[in-house]
Amino acid sequence: MTLRLEVPTDFGFTEEHALLRAEARRFLAERLPIAELRRQVDAGVRLDRGLWKEIAGLGWVGLVLPERFGGAGLGWLHLGILMEEMGRRLVPGPFLGSLLAGIAIERGAGDAQRERWLPAIASGETIASLALVEPGGAFEGAAITASADPADGGFVLRGRKTHVVGGADAGIVVAAFREPSGRISLFAVDLPAPGVAIEDEVSIDPTRPTARIAFDGVRVGAGARLDGDGSRALAETLTRGSAALAAEQVGGAEAVLQLTRQYAIDRKQFDRPIGFFQAVKHPIVDMMCGIELARSLACGAAAGLDADTPAAPVHARMAKALASDVYAQAVRKGVQLHGGYGFTWDCDVHLYFRRALWSRPMLGDAIHHRKGLASALGGEA
Amino acid sequence: MARPEEATESRENAEFRRQVRAWIQANQPAHPGFKLPQTFLEVESERQFDFLREWQRKVYDAGYLGLDWPAEYGGHSDPHKRQRIVSQELNRAGAPFLVNVIGLQWAGPTILAYGSEEQKRKYLKNILSCEDVWCQGFSEPGAGSDLAGLQASATREGEGWVVTGHKVWTTLAHFAKWMILLARTDPTAHKYAGISYFLFPMDAPGVTVQPLVKMTGEGGFNQVIFDRAPMPADALLGQLGQGWQIAMTTLTFERGAAEGTGGGSATSTAESVRAVAALAKRMRRDGSPAAADPVIRDRLAQLWIEEEALRLTAQRARVAGLNMDDRPLATRLMNKLVFSELGQRLTELACEVLGPDAVLWLGDPSAPDKAEWPRAYLNSFGVTIGGGTSEVQRNIIGERVLGLPKTK
Repeated sequence: MTLRLEVPTDFGFTEEHALLRAEARRFLAERLPIAELRRQVDAGVRLDRGLWKEIAGLGWVGLVLPERFGGAGLGWLHLGILMEEMGRRLVPGPFLGSLLAGIAIERGAGDAQRERWLPAIASGETIASLALVEPGGAFEGAAITASADPADGGFVLRGRKTHVVGGADAGIVVAAFREPSGRISLFAVDLPAPGVAIEDEVSIDPTRPTARIAFDGVRVGAGARLDGDGSRALAETLTRGSAALAAEQVGGAEAVLQLTRQYAIDRKQFDRPIGFFQAVKHPIVDMMCGIELARSLACGAAAGLDADTPAAPVHARMAKALASDVYAQAVRKGVQLHGGYGFTWDCDVHLYFRRALWSRPMLGDAIHHRKGLASALGGEA
Repeated sequence: MARPEEATESRENAEFRRQVRAWIQANQPAHPGFKLPQTFLEVESERQFDFLREWQRKVYDAGYLGLDWPAEYGGHSDPHKRQRIVSQELNRAGAPFLVNVIGLQWAGPTILAYGSEEQKRKYLKNILSCEDVWCQGFSEPGAGSDLAGLQASATREGEGWVVTGHKVWTTLAHFAKWMILLARTDPTAHKYAGISYFLFPMDAPGVTVQPLVKMTGEGGFNQVIFDRAPMPADALLGQLGQGWQIAMTTLTFERGAAEGTGGGSATSTAESVRAVAALAKRMRRDGSPAAADPVIRDRLAQLWIEEEALRLTAQRARVAGLNMDDRPLATRLMNKLVFSELGQRLTELACEVLGPDAVLWLGDPSAPDKAEWPRAYLNSFGVTIGGGTSEVQRNIIGERVLGLPKTK
């Protein structure tokens, strides 16, 4: 059987997409100039409630959630465009956690459960998060060790999850647990709850505070278990999350490209702008080509999700793999080409460097996704 | 079953695609039994050339070339821009390439853009039907990457012109009837302003075509020496001194950055990651299929990602709004650079997959796939060097797209 990688030929781009991009770009330029971001980083701000309210008010948290559950009902290409803009500005805070938790509930829950949780998440009233990674790095299927044992008509949850975005401020956390039958289920746990211990992590990326969460015999009702097939919901969430995070990575890499490009024009050595020299010019071009390629995959994945084609998971893997590598290369070259200045705290590139290193392993790094792709490639030739 | 491009194809185009596919299936020639070139860079013998010319003529007679070109010049004035569909289907079927690559893809569209009515009538139909094959006289021994440094001159003599100079890397010159020729017509002008663009008859006296041997050991390109070779007044394309500007148009087509060609592609082998993955299943490494080796798998996956990214980039380039950083030129200008380097890495990986057997060369009966892969790897340098080296492409992108200071 041959795998067909279909995406709609026109990528479905409309005026509406352009408006969203312009609005996001304008809002973030005004609200989050780099000086404000640095102020928050230096002050150790974990949650800027004002900014969170504004972002939620724009409808971004629930952008792809259905309107009947309080979302904006827009498509994945819309989300990709938004994520790219947010990545450019290194938007700080718990956005990614709420986004992923919303997606997981939308994919994995029944309507009553959706109604219970999604409107509060979409409106930003409740910060939510997806607790995905377990200590040791596992986040998919067979590797999940956190357990859910039936008790008193409900369940008892045990296990540890790490790198939970916005975990310390979350009112809901969604996580995968293994039942005695071996089946993987997603549970949505309202916080705080007895037995749930949340601890701030010290992370390389101070703009995206994370927490580790221990579930130590947490009792939940049967309704906390999402109605759908947990493994499938998890896979679908990973696909969608990968496409979204890849777009954010593209945006971050693009910002580094712009910083580096401008520096190569402004900075003079040997009586010329350093961008005159091919040893500087060519890596900047390679940076751009990588970004454009990754952006095409992110767009392809989003368009595939909008049209619900079977190619979307493949393109999402490809997008996350390439965007992770491209972002890492962009920050590496970005620091190098800024020379001595690049090695200082004052040079903005290191803020992106931190985000690039943070987002590379999350939802799977390039090696992880290439492994999955090799299987898809191997199964068809 | 539907392919990517077809997902939202109109019913009319889908029907057209089915027709083309059926026609190719019924008419694609059997392998002639002698070695066929992989690309237009290595057409050596008369019988190879005749075989390929016959095939192009057949495709043209079926109505599948010049679809986008005006009917009065032998095309079809097709408002649906269907040439892409034909070219895709030809490539997909593994059909022999259409030998008049330079005519169909570079000279033809340039003549269409700049030619006089007489020139369009005289040349275009014969390009499509393969009556006349074209070659390109741009590069010189002293002016390759710095194309504008060319020295071949065309001077007025009577009504016409006389050409003196030396061109090199001239693919297909030994079969060509016409050449798109850049020559200096004003040695006193600025180097870009003194160049003119000619449609030169290769059968003129004073023209010597000398074959060059490529590093594959095969022929296919040449050097061409002009010793006071005459050409008529109507050989001039566009205005006197406009040559550089017109040449840029040709290069845009050559680098695959513009639509509107007569059709076809420059190779018959659709080198793809899938083909190398299939090879990796057949070849063994340390006692197991090479496809089971995690390092080989990882590298195949990486190239698959890039191949698919390049395909989607071409698709995205056609949607203005999706060039999200308002640099629409980027997605067009990077095509040649990315495509050629990807092809090189892919064929190199194929050689690694072959293991020790990668050293077997053309003619060895044990060579896997008749040594197609090592040959393709060596040939891949024709693409990273020809049409502007990768290094020059990076300069062009850096300067024209990113606005970095000019390397002069």
